Amino acid sequence: MITGNLKTSYRADEQVLNNRWKRGFVLAAIAGLAAIPLFGNNYIVLIACQMGIMLIAVTGVNVVIGYTGLMSLGHAAFVAIGAYATVIFHNAAGGVIPESLLTLVAIPFAVVVSALAGIIVGLPSLRVKGLYLAVATLSANFIVIFLIEEQLFAPWTGGMNGINTPTANLLGWELSTRRELFWLIAVLAVLALLAAQNLFRTRVGRAFIAIRDRDYSAEILGISLYRYKLMSFAISAAYCGLAGALFAYFYARILPEQFDLHLSLMLVAAIIVGGMGRTMGAVYGVIIIVMVPEVIKVVFGALAGGGAELAMIRAPIQEIAFGALIVGFLLFEPFGINQIIDRALRALNRWPFARG
Amino acid sequence: MGQFLQFTINGLMSGAIYALIAVGLVSVFKATRVVNFAHGYLIMFGAYFYFTFAVLVPQMPFAPEWLQSWRPEWMLAMRADLPMFSPMAAVLDWMANLPRILLGLAGALVCNALLGLLIERALMRPLMGQSVFAMIMLTVGLISILSGAAQLIWTSDAEFVPALAPNTPIRFEMFGANIFLFGADLANMAIALLIFLGIVAMVRYTKSGVAIRATAEDQSTAYSMGISVPTVFSRAWVLASTTGAIAGAILATRNGISPALGLFGFSVLAIVLMGGLDSYLGVFIAAMAVGVLEALTQWKLGGEWAGIVPYVAVLIVILIRPHGLLGSKEIERI
Repeated sequence: MITGNLKTSYRADEQVLNNRWKRGFVLAAIAGLAAIPLFGNNYIVLIACQMGIMLIAVTGVNVVIGYTGLMSLGHAAFVAIGAYATVIFHNAAGGVIPESLLTLVAIPFAVVVSALAGIIVGLPSLRVKGLYLAVATLSANFIVIFLIEEQLFAPWTGGMNGINTPTANLLGWELSTRRELFWLIAVLAVLALLAAQNLFRTRVGRAFIAIRDRDYSAEILGISLYRYKLMSFAISAAYCGLAGALFAYFYARILPEQFDLHLSLMLVAAIIVGGMGRTMGAVYGVIIIVMVPEVIKVVFGALAGGGAELAMIRAPIQEIAFGALIVGFLLFEPFGINQIIDRALRALNRWPFARG
Repeated sequence: MGQFLQFTINGLMSGAIYALIAVGLVSVFKATRVVNFAHGYLIMFGAYFYFTFAVLVPQMPFAPEWLQSWRPEWMLAMRADLPMFSPMAAVLDWMANLPRILLGLAGALVCNALLGLLIERALMRPLMGQSVFAMIMLTVGLISILSGAAQLIWTSDAEFVPALAPNTPIRFEMFGANIFLFGADLANMAIALLIFLGIVAMVRYTKSGVAIRATAEDQSTAYSMGISVPTVFSRAWVLASTTGAIAGAILATRNGISPALGLFGFSVLAIVLMGGLDSYLGVFIAAMAVGVLEALTQWKLGGEWAGIVPYVAVLIVILIRPHGLLGSKEIERI
């Protein structure tokens, strides 16, 4: 039974992972992740890669929605910008920068471009909030997808037909299979999560939380709303840009419609299901959001045995399940899975005494 | 100049339909402070219900002959003497469809009203008093549920649905320019405007309208003054879903039925924010302006550019006037 979070030095108090349970959990999680490409089959690696990419994007959404309290329904646009920036950078700088360094430059490039886009899209957040901001970001999403599809930019973006993506290459190590790419995705996802956890013990992260809790009070306390709201958008867009860059390396071809409203809703749904404003919330949410369609697919495969009729109703069922997840969690568990797990851990911790 | 007038009039006609859809969003917002992100999907359901009752039901074996195509003796006699493509012939063709049009509209209205009630009762009411964020996200979840359900229920390919009014071509001259319109479009515009005005009048002058306005002003005060706020909520949802049903029927006759109808709701959402969420007049102006701008964009830049006009317009308006053209400013207490 943990009776308190006792510290003897300031250094110990300031650590990102401030008790040994957290440290143990992170080490165990890293060991578990390392086991996936070594022992998992192709299917597991595929799902794990998808989860890793989603996780980075959802962590970004968590920064802006969960921690800063700015409602955004357009984060798929930043994933799109990151993905297209990577591909365009590869095509443009292919001859200039040696192949083995290209990926190492392209990923930061995509992150920076997305962050800049985040600042632009975040501009309305200075004037409007809540619902108006949700619609403003939604509009930004539609506009970005439209610009990507537009004939005018088709020589760079491939227009409606999408564009082939390059293979990642780390100092001569070509990540041509998904198993190899998983290492890159997993390392970046873990770093992204730790960075997010770290962000909220810094001045910036605390300012975000203050803005979420009451923006006017935060302003009176001397937090510049102007600066921190834009910073929040920039950070979350940078996360999404990183996810987009990995997205581009992961798939052989990207299409504009992969980044439409549905992806934005998926990112928000993951954060609602997992638990807003908690680092682990993103993890739980992504696991559920990626696994539920897969489980439905497996169940339908077992039921139908390849029957065409059942296969046809699978896609709508997946869509309904996705909506039902959002609605169900909002109605019955508004703080998400994180809350359920917290409750379970607390009960375990106090056992056999009071529960709940 | 002639082209300009023609496209402006086309724009006004689609603007009227935008206004009709927007009225549902505004009503729900006024009563419940919730913006329904899934409104476009309610419209889609309205369109599918209209299709079901106007096309599928009359084809069923138990349906009487006259429901499918109503052709009494006197109509056949009149039809026989008319030349091809005369306006009267178009009117008579429409009259033959009249029974199923009425059945379709009635069915769409009733079914959509029930759907609206169900959503309000089962999903929105348990969240009453909770944060608005949760309610809005709930309507976002509703998007997926409704769009998946529509694909499950109506698997058949959408067919031609009968227009609400005789589709006679109308030509006339205005400022020396030839204008060419379809009768059905004109009638749709008239229907949309009449319903819009009717709802504005209802909210202003009737008892239940006053209840809606009182609830919009202050929920708990309205409650303590004896207004049943839950009833106001369900009334607002029924209002939204029934106007959505009519808009859906109109859109089905104009653009055909497809799951893409749901996306239409997002452009209307942009229009509503542009006009100001709680102002019928502002929303009306915004709807007409976006309709005209869209038509002019289509004329000058091509069809695909027209799709993003509402979104660009709302971004510009929000940046200059954060509460829309005529929306009332929210006053916050710290």
